[in-house]
Formats: sequence, structure tokens, C-alpha cells
Amino acid sequence: MPEYAGRRVIVRTHDPAELVREVCESSLANVEYVQLLSPDISPESLASLLGWGRDLPVDIVIDRPAADFSNLYSFSNLIDQHPMRATIKVEPGFSKAVKLAAALGFAVKLDVGQPDDREIEEMAEILELYLHRANVTQPIDYFHSVFLSLFRMEPVSLWLIQEEDPEHYSFVGPEAVENTSGRTALIRANRNEGVAAADTLLLCCSGCEFKDTCRSYFKYPNREYDCRGVISLFTTLRDAAEELRQDIQSAMSDSGVPRP
Amino acid sequence: MMRNNLSVILLPTNKCNVNCEYCFEDKTNDRMSHEQLSAIVTKLLDFMDGSGIPDLTIHWQGGEIMTMPAKWFETAFDLINELVHSRGRTVSHGLQTNMIGYTPRWNDIINRMFGNHVGSSMDYPNLYRKLFHGGPDDYTKLWNQKVKQARDSGISIGVIAVTNEETLRLGAEEFYSYFVDELGITSFQVNTPFPGGEANTTKDDLSVQNEELSKFFNDLTDIWVARGMGKGVSVGPVDQLVERFSDRPGSLPCIWQPNCADEFIAIDSRGFVAQCDCWVTSYPEYFFGNIFECESLTELLKNSPARQKFITRPRVTIEQGCIECEFLSMCHGGCPVRTYTYRKTIFEKDPFCSFYKSIFAHTRNVAAQLQEQQQISRHLIRVASKGIIEDGHLTI
Repeated sequence: MPEYAGRRVIVRTHDPAELVREVCESSLANVEYVQLLSPDISPESLASLLGWGRDLPVDIVIDRPAADFSNLYSFSNLIDQHPMRATIKVEPGFSKAVKLAAALGFAVKLDVGQPDDREIEEMAEILELYLHRANVTQPIDYFHSVFLSLFRMEPVSLWLIQEEDPEHYSFVGPEAVENTSGRTALIRANRNEGVAAADTLLLCCSGCEFKDTCRSYFKYPNREYDCRGVISLFTTLRDAAEELRQDIQSAMSDSGVPRP
Repeated sequence: MMRNNLSVILLPTNKCNVNCEYCFEDKTNDRMSHEQLSAIVTKLLDFMDGSGIPDLTIHWQGGEIMTMPAKWFETAFDLINELVHSRGRTVSHGLQTNMIGYTPRWNDIINRMFGNHVGSSMDYPNLYRKLFHGGPDDYTKLWNQKVKQARDSGISIGVIAVTNEETLRLGAEEFYSYFVDELGITSFQVNTPFPGGEANTTKDDLSVQNEELSKFFNDLTDIWVARGMGKGVSVGPVDQLVERFSDRPGSLPCIWQPNCADEFIAIDSRGFVAQCDCWVTSYPEYFFGNIFECESLTELLKNSPARQKFITRPRVTIEQGCIECEFLSMCHGGCPVRTYTYRKTIFEKDPFCSFYKSIFAHTRNVAAQLQEQQQISRHLIRVASKGIIEDGHLTI
């Protein structure tokens, strides 16, 4: 931890008890959040997070959502002490994990690759929940950040939203060696090919309506990926943002408040 | 593991002074000593220290609390304060009593320990609450006398009412009028009955009447909105649901928490620890252990197979359709003891499921209508402030 003084740090662990033993609370000031790398954690280890690092956000990685989603119940009592998020891999059956996480009041981040038709269908179902289900009270990202970005008409890179922009995030492995994986590794390779940054737009995306947000994110790792599914999700978000903007403008007109 | 607050349902006596036909408790004459109380509170505080839980809430009930002398609670209050404050913790107390044994001798400790508020129980109509020597009418008459006496002394009374077949037949209007208009009770909660504890003919007749319950509770919601909302009347759980669906903070009853194992434990006068009062008084096979016999509460809870079943329950019920339910966030499979008493297992969802869905849907609609009305009201006020309501007529 002292090596990262002055930098924001995400601490990743399989064993929260070890974390609590090794990291004293006084050094938590620069910790962005704690990431638990599996939902399969013993109750005793999990209990160590109660009363430790109060208000420090905790993120649970769910790599096998269809099988592991009900393990989220193990974390339900942390929410009074820690803002909770579940990072859920988008694969068939993942929507169960999102529904339960949302029902427990956890924020969600979708760990999405290049979703196929079935996954797009589930993502569309979750997007519908996010946009219209009143009891979904916490953000479901990337939907939430993209929605706000489109509503405010202030583009934010999906690379940043997904915490995969190597300009902002570096991953340090157990041997204290910086490493990369997935999209980030490909970006690094691209950089070697002369591509400047993670969100450098690929030529094939130059005509896309959502290029300012997506920044070719869904073109990794396979550049031949057919984006129609993810574009339909972006379109739904865009329409919802536009609808909200019009509603607010209409309400402001009715109340006599000048439009911004 | 518990949340921010350790809630303990503490039964210092298993003895009762009345003879209600539908009671789920198996009564005994056991009574807790102050030494035992001190041992329990010490272990609770050790548990809180180890779990980082700052606050303790003790919900006192029996058996019947007022079969014990008020003096016992005066000593207990001082003893608990000393123990809790020496650890830098805070404690609050709640009291649930049938009020049958109430005398003004209780006033001082009710004021100091319980904030001049007690929770009691009464049904409308009362069919099953009985004295040992007298029927439901005698019980109701005595209860009314005691409640009036306590209220005349400045004590506020909240009431838990359990529906019965006559409640449902007479309807919500009569029920609400009885409690609010006739008795002047402004805080009550309505519970569904369940046949807990030793079987008898009354419990055999306690069937799950989801359709009738839905109509009753939905009507009760409408009546509360029309006559009680914003006028200091709370009717749980309908007011809590309307609040929740209006995006306002507030808690829901224990039956609808993600997992009641995260919420509280119950300890009886013999030291037995179980999930709640329903379990600790009736189902030894679901006891977590005995607090007087364990080294620490942490170890007791950790090593209890029965508690493990409670922790596991929502992970099982969620596969029984709950994950697809639009009200998952409100319910999580419902109440284990209601399930157990009807289904003989806790690993099924609550048999009142369709009733819960109905009341959730209705209160959600009510909350949406209220929000719409508030928006219209705000709009009319804005229009009025522009001076275009003339002679009481809106001219747009």
C-alpha cells in the first residue's frame, strides 16, 4: 500500500479476512474500493468486513452468474456499512444475478465482452428494468453512465465507464507485477501499432451515431463483431434520455422556470 | 452476522397470564434472573465488539412481560445501562405486552426504559384471545380498561392485530373504525395468522385465505389513505409499503427482509437462542443453542446447523419463482415460520405469496396515484399563484 501513496487504489482479494489483517484502516484514504474476486467467501471471512473500513465501497465479482447468483445473499448485510456493487459477467443467465443484486440494493456493473444475440436479449431485459422498474434504485452500469452522458449530452468514453482504460487503470497482479488482460491487452498491442489511446476510434466506427461514447469498445477483441445488438441498446438509452429531457423541459415550461 | 444494529428479542419469562387459542408459544414457568440477564448482555456485547456492531436494541416480550414485577425491570434497566455504557455502546428498548397485568406501578419504568410507549395486541373481532377464567369478551373488556388506564397516564399504545375469518368477513372499514375511531389507536400493525406451536382445533382452521386477505388489506390501504394518511395514523404494513413505493426511506416488516437471519435473534428465559420469538418458544429442533452453555455468541451462531438453514433459505426459495417476481426486492420469499407451520419445511416460499403480490401491486398503484395527485396539486398552486383562478374557477 505505501508504494501507491498518492494514487487511487482498487484492492482486489479472494479473502477479505486477509485484507482486514494486512491493511490497517488508517491507510484506506486512497482506496477507491475493495473488490472481492469471487462470491464464494466463507461467512467468517466476510464477517471481517463488518466494522472495518466503514463506508468503503465493496465490489463483488460474479464470473459465473447463472450458477453463483444466489451467493449474493451472503453479502446483503454488508450494505449498511459499505456501498455495494456487483460486477457481473454478461453470459447466458446473467440477468438473474442483476435482478438479485438490484433487489438487494447493490449497484451493478456489467462485465460485457462482445455479446451474442441471446446475451443482447438479456441485456435488453435488464435495460428495461433499469429504465422503468421503480424499485431498481441503484445504477446498472454501463447503462446508467451512458444514459446520463446522453441526457447531459456530454460524451463519456465507455472504456472509462467500464474501468478498462489503461490510461486510467493499471492492474497489478499477486507478484506485484503490472499486467493486462482482455481488452486492455489488445489496446496495449494497438498502442504498439501506433494507436494512441484506448478510446481511439477505429475507422469502421466513424459513421456510428454512438461513436463518441462507445469509442470502438465493442470492436474488441474481434473487430468483425456485428454491433447491431449493442447499437439497439444504445438507441434505447438515447431515446429514454431524450424523453426525459423533453419531460423536464415541459415541466419547467409549465412551472415558468426558464429553460436551461 | 448482523447489520448495524443488533436486535434481540428477549423473553425474560416464558410464563403467560392469558389463554389465547391461537398462541404459538409453548409456555413454561421459567423466569430469568438478573445474574442470567447480566451474562446474556455481556455475551451480546462481546459479539457486538467482534462484529463491529455499534448499537443494541432489546425487544422485551414473553410469555408475558407483566407477569414479572416492574421492580425487576428497574434493576434490569440500571444493570444493562452500566454494562452497555462501559463498552461505549448504546442500547434502546421496546416492550410488547398484552397489558392484562398492567397497573400504574409500571408507569415509571415504561417512561424511563421504553419512552412511554408499549406495543400490545388485540384483534377485531376478538375470537381467540381469552383469559384463563373468561371468554374473548371478558378479555376485550379487561384489555380496554387497562389500555385506557395506561393512556390516561400518558402512555402511548401501539397494537398488533391478527386477522381472523370474522375480520375478513366484516371488512376493513369496520376494522379500521373500531381501532381508530372507537378505541383511538393511531398506531397498529395487522398480521396474518399462522398455526404455530402445538396443534389445536382453532389452529387447524387457520387456512391460508390469500384472496380474502388481499381484498381486506387492499381495502384497508384505501381507507387509510382516505382517512388516516397525514393525520398521524399508521397502519402497518400498508403505510410502510406506500412509503417504500413512494421512494421514501423506511423499513418493512421482518417477514419481507432479504434474510431475517441478518436482522435479529431471540433468547428466552432458559437461555435458548433461536431466530425469533416464534421459533424460540415452539420449535426446539430449530434452536441455535443455549447462550448460558456457550463460550461466545459468535461461536454459537457460527456452529449452529439450524441457523445455517435460515441463512440458506432465500438462496433456495429464489429458484422457486422469486427471481422472476417483480417484487423480489420487497419480499425475498417471505417468512420462514409461516412457511414452516403450513409446509413443514422452511425451504419453500411463504404460502401467503399471492396475497403479498396483491398488496404490493395495490400499494404501488396507490403510491403512484398519490404522486400524480401531488403533482397536480403543485401545478394548481402554481397556476393559482399566477392569478388565473378566479371566483374559485380554474380558467386556463
